[in-house]
Amino acid sequence: MRFVSDLWRILRADKGALVGGVIVAIYCLVAIFGPVFVKVSNDQDANNAYLPPSWTHPLGTDSLGQGVMSQIIVGARPIMIVGVLAAIITIFIGVLLGLLSGYAGGLTDSVIMRITDVFLTVPGLPLIIVLAAVIHTTNPFILACILSITAWAGLARAIRSQALSLRSSDFVEAAKLQGVSMGNMVGRQLLPNVGPYVAIHFLLAITGAIYAEVGLFLLGVAPIAGTNWGIMINLAMSQGALYTTDSAFYLFSPMAAIVILQVAFVFFSRALDSVFNPRLRVQ
Amino acid sequence: MLRYLAKRVLMALIIIYIVLTLSFFMVRLMPGNPMAALEAQLRQQGGLTDQEIQQRVAAVYGVLPNAPVLTQYKDYLVNILHGNLGVPITNPGTTVVAVISQALPWTILVVGVSLIISFIIGVAIGSAMASFPDSAFSKIMTFVVSFLSAVPNYLIAILLIYVLTATYQVFPSGGAYGVDARPGLNGPYLVSVLYHAVLPVFASVVTSFGGWALAMKGSAVSVLGAEYVRAAESRGLSERVISRSYVGRNSMLPMVTQLALSIGFMFGGSFFIEYYFQYPGIGYYMIQSVNNRDYSLMMGCFLLITVSVVVTNLLVDLLYPLVDPRIINPAARRRADAPGPDSGTDDATTLPVGGTVA
Repeated sequence: MRFVSDLWRILRADKGALVGGVIVAIYCLVAIFGPVFVKVSNDQDANNAYLPPSWTHPLGTDSLGQGVMSQIIVGARPIMIVGVLAAIITIFIGVLLGLLSGYAGGLTDSVIMRITDVFLTVPGLPLIIVLAAVIHTTNPFILACILSITAWAGLARAIRSQALSLRSSDFVEAAKLQGVSMGNMVGRQLLPNVGPYVAIHFLLAITGAIYAEVGLFLLGVAPIAGTNWGIMINLAMSQGALYTTDSAFYLFSPMAAIVILQVAFVFFSRALDSVFNPRLRVQ
Repeated sequence: MLRYLAKRVLMALIIIYIVLTLSFFMVRLMPGNPMAALEAQLRQQGGLTDQEIQQRVAAVYGVLPNAPVLTQYKDYLVNILHGNLGVPITNPGTTVVAVISQALPWTILVVGVSLIISFIIGVAIGSAMASFPDSAFSKIMTFVVSFLSAVPNYLIAILLIYVLTATYQVFPSGGAYGVDARPGLNGPYLVSVLYHAVLPVFASVVTSFGGWALAMKGSAVSVLGAEYVRAAESRGLSERVISRSYVGRNSMLPMVTQLALSIGFMFGGSFFIEYYFQYPGIGYYMIQSVNNRDYSLMMGCFLLITVSVVVTNLLVDLLYPLVDPRIINPAARRRADAPGPDSGTDDATTLPVGGTVA
């Protein structure tokens, strides 16, 4: 519980981080429970197109007369699921390879680091676009795999250098003398010590994945099916929302939803950073 | 020294080879791959013999689809070594290489200019933030910079288009120069080129200078705490000499490396900007080709972007020993590499959104 009380103390002092954390929490709740309460109705009525905000449609309606607000709420889940999945995959691969490479050393280390170098050098976004274009998947898990294709490499590098410094510490020596297994060494001894760094990287990996994911939908590279923020912006743009003045709410609502979430993640991660890095708190 | 060079060059060649191989298997061997799709499409149109279909496909991709895989692979590598990337499916009159070489200068213009501008602004703001950590300027800038580096660049692009080209038609909505400007070294053409580049450059500067500022601040703060700075202070050196020769130089070193590395990476980061401003660079053509299912052009752009990133990285690696001689001296390198207790935590805060993927 040290962690929770530390976090709360930092959040209370840093208003930006507090607001960020609250917003992230709200988005998570909306993504989990939103689609239960809100439905995007199927009835399309051109007479209701581009209505200004009203009590029934708080953010107006789109070109088909459907509420923008309900689409935003329903569209939160696919974005968040893929973002979180991609971050989990990134963290899992990055931490596993980093710890293994840093602790095992020798040939294992060389092989893993050469592979990591390849993924560090290959530019991520072009590779993601090409893969998404060829695979053309609607499966969130596969999409998440594509999004994390190069993101893990930087993390693996950083974790490796931490594992290298942990390797020479006393408690690792002690564990080694006890003859613990490789699984215990990596999972029970090393992992808890890189936890803080991983937690912060997790949040940033989510923002990175959401950035690329929404981008894929904007460019029309990922299949346009269902409702999410990227698809909303894509449709709004292709229906000429730039040139009709009534459609401002339709175009800018999903954009605002993305910006608010991304900024909230960044500010929240800053608070997390100072919880885990007492050094920063002093500064 | 020679060993260091040879190792780097070899590594770069291996990466390029892996990327070539990967793209070969992606386009030719995956289920529902583009080459089989083109074959099926031609067969459906009818009126073509099997022979003709094979020749059409071969004209686009440069290899015969019904040849053994290894032969195809060999042909593909030979073609690439000869600078032959095939023909765009949607525009058979030209070659992929011709399209790319037309697009490349525009990408380099916009990317280069915005990279330099955002680097200068970022470094200036970052060093100011580090020198006056408790000032109001620093507090405001911390907020602004964190905010801007979290906003995706495509949203800024859409916003700019909405306000400045659609609502108030201040700037042109696309192209690299106006229709009435005649390409060449004349005044109106150059003015038109600059005029068309303003929005793309602005959009990418707004979203990328924050990352530079945070990185510069981090770098300067870590140098400020170094012992040689304290030593210089206690020797009674003037404030100006310390900030210029001790703090300035040392905190700029990682920034310059980073700048050199991002020259390659910015090729991949300009997709959204070029796509929305309809700016005819590499990124624009790559997205166009994806949307038109023009896979030969798509892979050509992808290969070019990847190879240019790898080559820039190689050049940085080769030039870096001139800046920092410790790199090629193994003993000194081990000392420089030795991770401190907090190594790796610094870049987490300076990582801009998209920095993890681009």
